[in-house]
Amino acid sequence: MANERLRALEDVEKEIATVMQCAGNIVLELSKDKHNASLLDRQLIQFQASVNRVENELSGQIRYLTQVATGQPHEGSTYSARKDCQMALNRAEYAKVKLGELGRTCEVMLEQQQQQQT
Amino acid sequence: MAAQRGLPQSKESLLQNYNKRLKDDIRSILDNFTEIIKTAKIEDETQVSRATQAEQDHYEMHVRAANIVRAGESLMKLVSDLKQFLILNDFPSVNDAISLQNQQLRSLQDECDKKLTSLRDEIAIDLYELEEEYYSSSYSQWDSTDLPLCEAYRRRDSWASPGSSCSSTQGDREDAEGPPSQEANPQHHLNGHGTSSIEKP
Repeated sequence: MANERLRALEDVEKEIATVMQCAGNIVLELSKDKHNASLLDRQLIQFQASVNRVENELSGQIRYLTQVATGQPHEGSTYSARKDCQMALNRAEYAKVKLGELGRTCEVMLEQQQQQQT
Repeated sequence: MAAQRGLPQSKESLLQNYNKRLKDDIRSILDNFTEIIKTAKIEDETQVSRATQAEQDHYEMHVRAANIVRAGESLMKLVSDLKQFLILNDFPSVNDAISLQNQQLRSLQDECDKKLTSLRDEIAIDLYELEEEYYSSSYSQWDSTDLPLCEAYRRRDSWASPGSSCSSTQGDREDAEGPPSQEANPQHHLNGHGTSSIEKP
């Protein structure tokens, strides 16, 4: 849910860039001797649509924040679960180390046995 | 309304400030753009000379374009502030993110512990066989008070079913009785195996 809202705000940023781009294209087209009317219309429609979208989206976000914001700091944490998981990984790592030592010991014993036989 | 009244003054004023900035910037963009389009209109009658009028229009357009860009950048700053405010104060999404993270960490921990438990069970089986092999060989120097795993399991089985035979390898074990008799007769293994004669009362 949080990612969706943040993604929506990133889309708003792209819309603002589109607004600037459209305004610049319109002024550029007007500076020419012969204007392309269809291009001007398209750019103008896109400009107005983008401005409206930006305004509506940001108003919606501010309205949502007005409803959910409490002014208190959030005191939730994932520390305990993270610590437990870290301890489990440490247990697995320790078991791996011990098994590695056991394996090396067995290999040494086998080599000694083979040397004695030869 | 109750939710709004519950907000501290700083948060409420902050959100009102965001609203104001949004309205002002959008208004600035639209007004300046409209004025640029109006200024682009060619007029035949001017109060000053054409060159002066053109220069004035050029400067005005320049300033209005700069105003549009400034308003756009202000909107970007507003979006950045809203993102920050959202991350810090959107409690429903923060709660969801925390619970999801906790769930993932717990499942990883459970998986890890499950695999360790299965590994322990497998190694216990192998250890049983290895101990059986070791303590029946000539290399073992075990103390009767420290029962090997295989012996402990065998005794548990024999106590559970007294009618069954003690072990299938009677000749390989030193005794089939309790530890006290073992302490009384510390016998060494011969030829790599236990003594064939088992002392019985």
